[in-house]
Amino acid sequence: MNSVLSQLQPPAPHLGLDQEEDEFTSSDPSAWGSMGGFGNLARNGGVQGMSIPRVNDPTAFLDLHTDNMSSNPEAKIKIAHGTTTLAFRFQGGIIVAVDSRATAGSYIASGTVKKVIEINKFLLGTMAGGAADCQYWETYLGMQCRLYELRNKERISVAAASKILSNIVYQYKGMGLSMGTMVCGWDKTGPCIFYVDDDGQRLKGDLFSVGSGSTFAYGVLDQGYRWDLTDEEAQELGRRSIVAAGHRDAYSGNTSNVFHVRENGWEFIGNYDVNELWYEYEVKKKAAREAAAPAASPMAVEA
Amino acid sequence: MALYAQPPTSYSVPTTAPIEHRFNPYSDNGGTILAIAGKDFSVIAGDTRQSEGYSIQTRYARKVWQLTDKVVLATNGFAADGNNFVKRVKQRLEWYEHAHHKPMGLKSIARMIQTILYGKRFFPYYVYNILGGIEEDGSGAVYSFDPVGSYEREACRAAGAAQSLIQPFLDNQVYFKNQQPAPGSAPFVPGNLPLSTILSLVVDSFTSATERHIEVGDGMEIYVVMNRGRNTDDLLGPGILAESMHVEELGALGEGGGEKTFLVTSPLKRD
Amino acid sequence: MECSFGITGKDYVLIAADTSAGRSIVRMKSDENKIKTLGPHLAMAYGGEPGDTNNFAEYIERNLRLYHIRNHFPLLPPSASAWIRRTLAESIRSRKPYAVNLLLGGYDTTTDLPHLYWIDYLGTKAIVPYAAHGMGVYVSLSTMDKWWYEGMDKREGIEVLKKCVDEVEKRLTVALKFNCILIDKNGIHKIDLSEQDPIAKVEASPEETAVEAPNPPIEVGA
Repeated sequence: MNSVLSQLQPPAPHLGLDQEEDEFTSSDPSAWGSMGGFGNLARNGGVQGMSIPRVNDPTAFLDLHTDNMSSNPEAKIKIAHGTTTLAFRFQGGIIVAVDSRATAGSYIASGTVKKVIEINKFLLGTMAGGAADCQYWETYLGMQCRLYELRNKERISVAAASKILSNIVYQYKGMGLSMGTMVCGWDKTGPCIFYVDDDGQRLKGDLFSVGSGSTFAYGVLDQGYRWDLTDEEAQELGRRSIVAAGHRDAYSGNTSNVFHVRENGWEFIGNYDVNELWYEYEVKKKAAREAAAPAASPMAVEA
Repeated sequence: MALYAQPPTSYSVPTTAPIEHRFNPYSDNGGTILAIAGKDFSVIAGDTRQSEGYSIQTRYARKVWQLTDKVVLATNGFAADGNNFVKRVKQRLEWYEHAHHKPMGLKSIARMIQTILYGKRFFPYYVYNILGGIEEDGSGAVYSFDPVGSYEREACRAAGAAQSLIQPFLDNQVYFKNQQPAPGSAPFVPGNLPLSTILSLVVDSFTSATERHIEVGDGMEIYVVMNRGRNTDDLLGPGILAESMHVEELGALGEGGGEKTFLVTSPLKRD
Repeated sequence: MECSFGITGKDYVLIAADTSAGRSIVRMKSDENKIKTLGPHLAMAYGGEPGDTNNFAEYIERNLRLYHIRNHFPLLPPSASAWIRRTLAESIRSRKPYAVNLLLGGYDTTTDLPHLYWIDYLGTKAIVPYAAHGMGVYVSLSTMDKWWYEGMDKREGIEVLKKCVDEVEKRLTVALKFNCILIDKNGIHKIDLSEQDPIAKVEASPEETAVEAPNPPIEVGA
């Protein structure tokens, strides 16, 4: 009926629950033509049916064979997990800081994971939970944001972008997706952070931390956070909070990537070795203590 | 009342417990794969043993596949899923070539593998993939994947049964992890190892893994992909490969952009 | 640990809901508004399964707005409660039910009567003078049983609500903050429970405390 309107609307990914499609005989002819080689993305940019096992309870099936929900750590298929990520708003924009460790069971699968996904020049997404879920859907979100720009001649707001993502994951609710992400960016309203997770929750806020190490990161972040932090202080707070989490949470660590979002887009600040930073902080802490109480206590011990 | 004192025999309780039918389409066929990237080449290798539990199904099953003149894919995990997956990837590459009159590039193949794997997010392929080859800019590259499609470009990666034996060795020898340069000498620069060194690392990884892991052995296949115009002396020159090893150049699959792929085979212990 | 309250009085309804949102043991937000304005004289407090809550609340909000636009008249509280209950009753019989509990409060401008409905995710609806959802059920229902009486004025209603919130603060192991609104014939007003006499502010400057309804009156042929 509303054909023009339906073309303008971003296509909703549909659940192919009842489809009986053979994966070799893709029904979409676009897979053969010039679009050949674009994975399971259909010509309209939507996602073609996901293959689902023909069992009574697909979620139980996934749970049985993967360590997806952490309820079955002995499962054959290990999906990369475990993380500390954080983002906060302050006077100078947004700081996004993450660790870089990926674990499969107790094995450290990688220490060089990029957990900040660059959706576009103004939008960042963070990755906690299933690495593939975050990587795939945030890349997909990047496509939808670009289509929005082309259709509307203006950049998408952070609120709208995060809602696209939360609507997608809400459609798959209960099926075993695992993601806790922060969509961060600068739009007409200024710096903006939305937390989106796999049960479809979407929260706007000034300060979030997500992942197995988030409680430890909060412990440092909450105590050091002020709105009027300088750029350097803010970057340091993000870095220090990730180090704190890397030190206490065995599933987090290796290196920390820090990003700063400003009005003209995001900037990569740096990659820092968590272990080396921890010892630097220890040395600084000791030096500060000695400077505060010059020579008094050591002498007391000797006497 | 007396009529109902004894229940009819047909109502008796079942004598056997109900049988639980669980759908288990997965198996683990052992084996190990690895890949290391050089400046202008890439090495992708795998052993050839296929096993299930303690029994060896075959001493020669292919795990490393030449996809294009620049790209080689190694698969590991559940062999049936792996073969099926490679078949799908090859079909998509053929479609792409028909549509575009050129082979798909390495980074595009990597992204395609992600979308194919993620398409089965709720019914995963139990396959760990490592993709190696030559990037558009001529550099050697390695991409590694998890079973549902998260991926990352790296300098080296081991996967499969002996992953936990080989990866720490590679971290030490390729990334120079936990090493310090001798006083006065130049700092380590990861990612610039010569081909001969990388070949020795690969061979040592597999012979050592064969010694300590029951699922690794029988034989190995090492694919070496070289950028166009690169000198081949450090592979084909005298004294580079051991006598037991055999090397052949694989002919161009496409029109031939000048890249060369060599297949080095070597026996491993069979016990 | 969620908690919401509803209290009716002579010519008004009070609705309060806590403001925390989290995941497992972590509170990720302490100023989340869990009261949705559904019309000029209709609002609800909602809670339950994260994700479902917002999705369901927005679905209800948009459909009631659509009704208002189509009919130039908002759905009255009794009819709205019936429609919302039926939506939940159909949902619970579907493949993926919404797990959302709510307190619906409204003021019927045609009969000048306040209404309060207690509705749960199963599609149970009860017409009640005062109600609670979540942990408030266990600590504050008895408080309302004792102090509430029919035909209370606004200040008396606020006092009862303050007692309930006070009890929650005293007896629950987690600290909660509350959002509160008042619905009367003039519309919906924001209430600050920390103030000594929040009603004085509503009476002194009704515009300032007014909560903007999503369905502004539609001008016909201006």
